[in-house]
Amino acid sequence: MRRILKVAWREYVETTKTKTFLFSVLATPAIIGVILYVASRLDPRAAGPQPAKRVAVTDLSGKLAGEIKQPFENYNSAHPQRQLLLQQVQAGADSANSAERAGKDKLRRGELDMHVVLDADVVAGRGKMRLYTRATKAADIDVVSIVRNLLQAAVVNRRCKLRDLDPKLLAEIRRGVPTEHVEVGAADQEHVRSQSQRIIGMMVPFFFMFLMFMGIFGMGQHLITSVIEEKNSRVIEVLLSALSPLELMAGKIAGLGGIALTVIAMWGFGAYAAARWRGLDLNIPLEILPYFFVYYVLGFLLFSSILAGIGSVCNTIKEAQGLMMPVSMLCVLPMVTWFALVRNPTGTLARALSFVPPLTPMVMILRLAAGAEIGMLEVAASIVVLAGSVLVAVWAGAKIFHTGILMYGKRPGLREILRWVRQK
Amino acid sequence: MNAVCLESVCKSFGDVHAVDALSARVPAGSIYGFLGPNGAGKTTTQRMIMDIIRPDSGRIEVLGAGSAAAAKDRIGYMPEERGLYRKMAVGKVLAYFGSIKGTPAGELSRRVPEWLEKVGLADWTGKKVEELSRGMHQKLQFAVTCINDPELLILDEPFSGLDPLNLDLLKGIVLSLREKGKTIILSTHVMHEAERLCDFILLINEGKAVVDGTLDEIRSRWRSSAVSVELAGETGFIEHLPMVAAVKPDGRRVEIALTEGADPQELLKALAGRVRVQAFEVKVPSLHEIFVHLVGNGDAQDS
Repeated sequence: MRRILKVAWREYVETTKTKTFLFSVLATPAIIGVILYVASRLDPRAAGPQPAKRVAVTDLSGKLAGEIKQPFENYNSAHPQRQLLLQQVQAGADSANSAERAGKDKLRRGELDMHVVLDADVVAGRGKMRLYTRATKAADIDVVSIVRNLLQAAVVNRRCKLRDLDPKLLAEIRRGVPTEHVEVGAADQEHVRSQSQRIIGMMVPFFFMFLMFMGIFGMGQHLITSVIEEKNSRVIEVLLSALSPLELMAGKIAGLGGIALTVIAMWGFGAYAAARWRGLDLNIPLEILPYFFVYYVLGFLLFSSILAGIGSVCNTIKEAQGLMMPVSMLCVLPMVTWFALVRNPTGTLARALSFVPPLTPMVMILRLAAGAEIGMLEVAASIVVLAGSVLVAVWAGAKIFHTGILMYGKRPGLREILRWVRQK
Repeated sequence: MNAVCLESVCKSFGDVHAVDALSARVPAGSIYGFLGPNGAGKTTTQRMIMDIIRPDSGRIEVLGAGSAAAAKDRIGYMPEERGLYRKMAVGKVLAYFGSIKGTPAGELSRRVPEWLEKVGLADWTGKKVEELSRGMHQKLQFAVTCINDPELLILDEPFSGLDPLNLDLLKGIVLSLREKGKTIILSTHVMHEAERLCDFILLINEGKAVVDGTLDEIRSRWRSSAVSVELAGETGFIEHLPMVAAVKPDGRRVEIALTEGADPQELLKALAGRVRVQAFEVKVPSLHEIFVHLVGNGDAQDS
């Protein structure tokens, strides 16, 4: 036991000292921060001035000129950096085709950015508004919907005027009712949930799952690297003259598990502090932290035993990555389905995935953080299944590690590896 | 008392019999040499003694225990493939291996600088292992092997790749360790090294023991009946002497092969009566010759 701790401590100290480790600990939050910052800058209201868009409107009824002009002017005065240059084209219902053709030509020549044709019976009947643009880029879709809304407002205003209604009155009638969603907790606790809090409420479980994923799987990469490095630098034989293979494996796993817990704690507190700093009101379900710990420890043991076995039979990181592919694919499953799992944490999919051992920690922590009512029996059962698989993985991993760690040269086939596992 | 005892130990890798019914006794306090060509099974035998790999059959006793696993703290092992943590500082590597071999921390803080001094790496304590040259790396590896003050040292090709100065340094340390009563098992394929160092020798070829015993025992068993002489005067009569089988000029000297069972002393008397004897040397077979003789024959039979 003393030796295991010695190995673990060296693993902890030497791994945390490396530059790659520091980079991976700092880079992940840094990248997420940059993405969030760029996303906020991409918000159109925050974007810089854009060239004015030239929009031609052909009103075939010939009666909407005033109503069209008004909303465009309102828009331009409200958005000084995104101007719309309105040209009203006069055309009778009989010259509809030629007006359309002229508009298309101008679009093709680049003299216009958009041409809109309003049918003659657009106010009273079922006439259409047709919007013409060149091939739309993602950025143009915005303009299309703005122009459509402005023209729609113009048509509605015209309809009001024909019925002697005040458009302001109509807007007043259609004004929405402010809502407030109150969650009632235990003992007088209640708090108001806004829309953004609902989104945060969904992101918190995801964040917990993400921490679990990084802690288990991200750290697994370090374990493989460390095993292969010891194998390649031939230090393994010296180690085995002082330690049994099981002591060595246990020490490495314990050391990296400790590192992973450190990193998780840093990221977790960092994210919490950042969220509070940005003024987000987080509701962290503290009662799931003990579960997080139990699931994390079991999950890490399961994975690291498998990865130690894989690492021991490989001579290069590249070889190991090939063998890890199936494991990686499996791990990505909860990341892909998380939305469905959060929306329905007691559904069949969530329940089924909870009992697939490698996924259990991630899925269960997601469900628990989502506040699902999960019976104690189900939680206990998932822990038992996970613990059982941990025993199998440690047993098989240790056998493979024992033999594989001293093998150099050709990587053994699956059949040979299974033979090692069956050996006494 | 035997430090290590092997009893008909066998180990196969697939169809290859790496070690085949090998038995040996290593007396405590001696330097015991495993000799043999490449692939003879020296490394496999040492790994089995260290319990890094298990024999298919046979029994191994190490320092009175049924397996090295129970005595790892009292053994130092230097594998043929040298390896240390390349990114760690020299002093830390030494302290780490000492600590996992059960040396108390207080003891280590004394022994680490002492050993670094002994192998001439005292100035390198804080440097990373990857900065060391090959020879320095080897000396550090040797210090790692000794850091737990083991009763038994198992050294796989300890002197390969060393320059003469470092070679003498390490040999001196090995000899001083024997004086302190340690047992040393070393393997080598360099015969004159073994000749100078070892008290006992086990010659292995293709996993089998070819010959074992003290150097003198082996030599007397393989005594070649040849004499090298330098004479002044007429030498034509020599080949007619009764105890002479053949005469071969060898520069200024003459090499005389004696008949089976003949005593070189008789030849000296016969020569001294007839000519001036300027040099007379009974040829002692070197390990190299014995090795080539034994192993070479084996090879000839195989092919």
